[in-house]
Amino acid sequence: MRLQARQDYLKEAMSQFIDLENREVSVAALHDQELYELELERIFAKAWLMIGHETEIPDVGDYVVRLMGEDQVIVARAADGQVHVSLNVCPHRAMHVCLADSGNARVHKCIYHGWAFRPDGSFIGAPIEKEQMHGNIRTKAQLGLKKARVQLYGGLVFATWNHDGPSLDEWFGDMKFYYDMLFCRTDKGLEVLGPPQRLTIDANWKTAGEQSACDGFHTLTLHGSVIDIGAMGGEANTEHESAPAMYGINLSGNGHSLRCIAADTSWALAHGKGDLTPDQRLEAFPPPGITPELLPEVRRNMSAEQLHVLAKAPPVVGGMFPNMNILFIYSPLRDGTLGAALVLHSIMPKGPNHFEWTTYYFAEKGTPEHIKVMMRAAATHGTGTSGIIEQDDSDTWPHMTESAKGVIGRTETLKYQAILGENRPADWPDKAKVYEGFGKDDAQWEWWLAYHKLMTANA
Amino acid sequence: MSVTIATVNYTREDQRRDQVPYGSPVYNSIMGFLIHEARLLDHRDIKAWGELLAEDLEYKAPVRITRRVQQFDQEFGTMGHFDDDYNSMQVRITRLITTTNAWSEDPASRVRRFVSNATVWETDVPDEYEVSSYLLLTRNRAEADNYKQLSAERNDRLRMTKSGFKLARRSILLDQVVLGMPNFAIFL
Repeated sequence: MRLQARQDYLKEAMSQFIDLENREVSVAALHDQELYELELERIFAKAWLMIGHETEIPDVGDYVVRLMGEDQVIVARAADGQVHVSLNVCPHRAMHVCLADSGNARVHKCIYHGWAFRPDGSFIGAPIEKEQMHGNIRTKAQLGLKKARVQLYGGLVFATWNHDGPSLDEWFGDMKFYYDMLFCRTDKGLEVLGPPQRLTIDANWKTAGEQSACDGFHTLTLHGSVIDIGAMGGEANTEHESAPAMYGINLSGNGHSLRCIAADTSWALAHGKGDLTPDQRLEAFPPPGITPELLPEVRRNMSAEQLHVLAKAPPVVGGMFPNMNILFIYSPLRDGTLGAALVLHSIMPKGPNHFEWTTYYFAEKGTPEHIKVMMRAAATHGTGTSGIIEQDDSDTWPHMTESAKGVIGRTETLKYQAILGENRPADWPDKAKVYEGFGKDDAQWEWWLAYHKLMTANA
Repeated sequence: MSVTIATVNYTREDQRRDQVPYGSPVYNSIMGFLIHEARLLDHRDIKAWGELLAEDLEYKAPVRITRRVQQFDQEFGTMGHFDDDYNSMQVRITRLITTTNAWSEDPASRVRRFVSNATVWETDVPDEYEVSSYLLLTRNRAEADNYKQLSAERNDRLRMTKSGFKLARRSILLDQVVLGMPNFAIFL
């Protein structure tokens, strides 16, 4: 499609696909090649994308290869000690420069003609230097691997091709105040518990994308089996008994979102401690992933407002627009105690009908080793490939995408009409949009508004 | 890279002693066990399969990584697609057989597990064997006209007990770095 034709298409498509007045999205948007091409350009080439964690590449020369949309990038620690993200495409003849998923290399040498690059992407030269096989039209400085803009946050590697766009802080907006409670709460920070799980799901990326924005409601039905076997459950004789983890505080800003849920509303192991003061609650239920020995660090690193949130109802699940899903959840450990699973998913599109679901597990670096091992097992048991919670999600998204293939099916809509409205409690920080109560569609609709905004922004 | 690369050798070659001859009574009984458990799983008799698991079970499917051949011995990560013990496997089984809403396998996939290329070694423990076998698995789901496939090498520790062989350890070394099926709601 030519550029002008695309822009005309987009204008038409956005008004057809998204009904702003009635909060509906056309199912056709889940299976549309033209729309998909535009999403790659307007979302995946513009947004800040999470593509790994710096603890995966601790030493100079360490690298991992990751996806940004359908583009492969090399995430490497260069001689300057900094993390650099470079397109894994040789500027000479478009060969992939890195062929392994991870490793250590001071020089990345293309196997085709031998053009060589440093971990920061800069061009070293081509073989037989005196013959100057890169020609004399472009200088060596112009022949490096294409560089993405990089920002580390809590050790997470964020990258974007939008060199002139918002900073990562601006991208997060008010939500950074809450994200700090997950990613920037201890002195040493988080570390990965291994290389990520990767799998391909036969579904449009937006099925998992929009769900990450606080779709709590599906838990009751899709994940009913986890409630039925007694692993998950609200305290008896409360509103949580028949609806565990449903009541809480949802947060939204710039399409990013989090659900804040008190431990005793969702986990049997946390019952019977409802009468505690906020400070006692923080001791009784440290935020997921915080062991008692790390709690003093959290108290030191967080503001009074943040500590109040952590005591009342810590953020536990949610997303980062456009394609990251967060689960920092309480989870029973092998030894019978209430521990945690710290999980991030990235949802990378691979055509309109497929995406790669990448799953990272974390622990705070300061966690005792034997607890890290139990946290990793708990995360694997609950989430990702074989997770007894998430295996039901990965089976659902393909069905939604299949529905979009029928000429009648695609005329249906996804509906976001159960709305709480902003209703910030008096004791809650005045940050982001706040929805207290039974989790409804508010934050998910905000995800679509962020999508709409980026898709219709001037190119 | 110690954070991400497994120091465990999942093939456990160090624990292998004399090879049990192909076609010998012990070899045949172990091959019979592998066929039997595949048959139980293919026919969704998950409860009976669960009874073949030893209480000290370790059940893992480490994440695989594409590496240069010089790092061929560092192909497997510390993270896995399964990272289970006996109790956590029983929770999985309970969920699948006692609830009416384990949707990832309801309606169930049609699965066939083809087990071959088994090699058996004696170990330092009498009545315990190291067993390496190939697994080819086909999974058909709903109205799909094709299959999700998976191939793997499994390295097991089998223990002969009064009630027959029990599986004490299974390390599933998958051939896919990026899995082609959306979940492991099935056992391997």
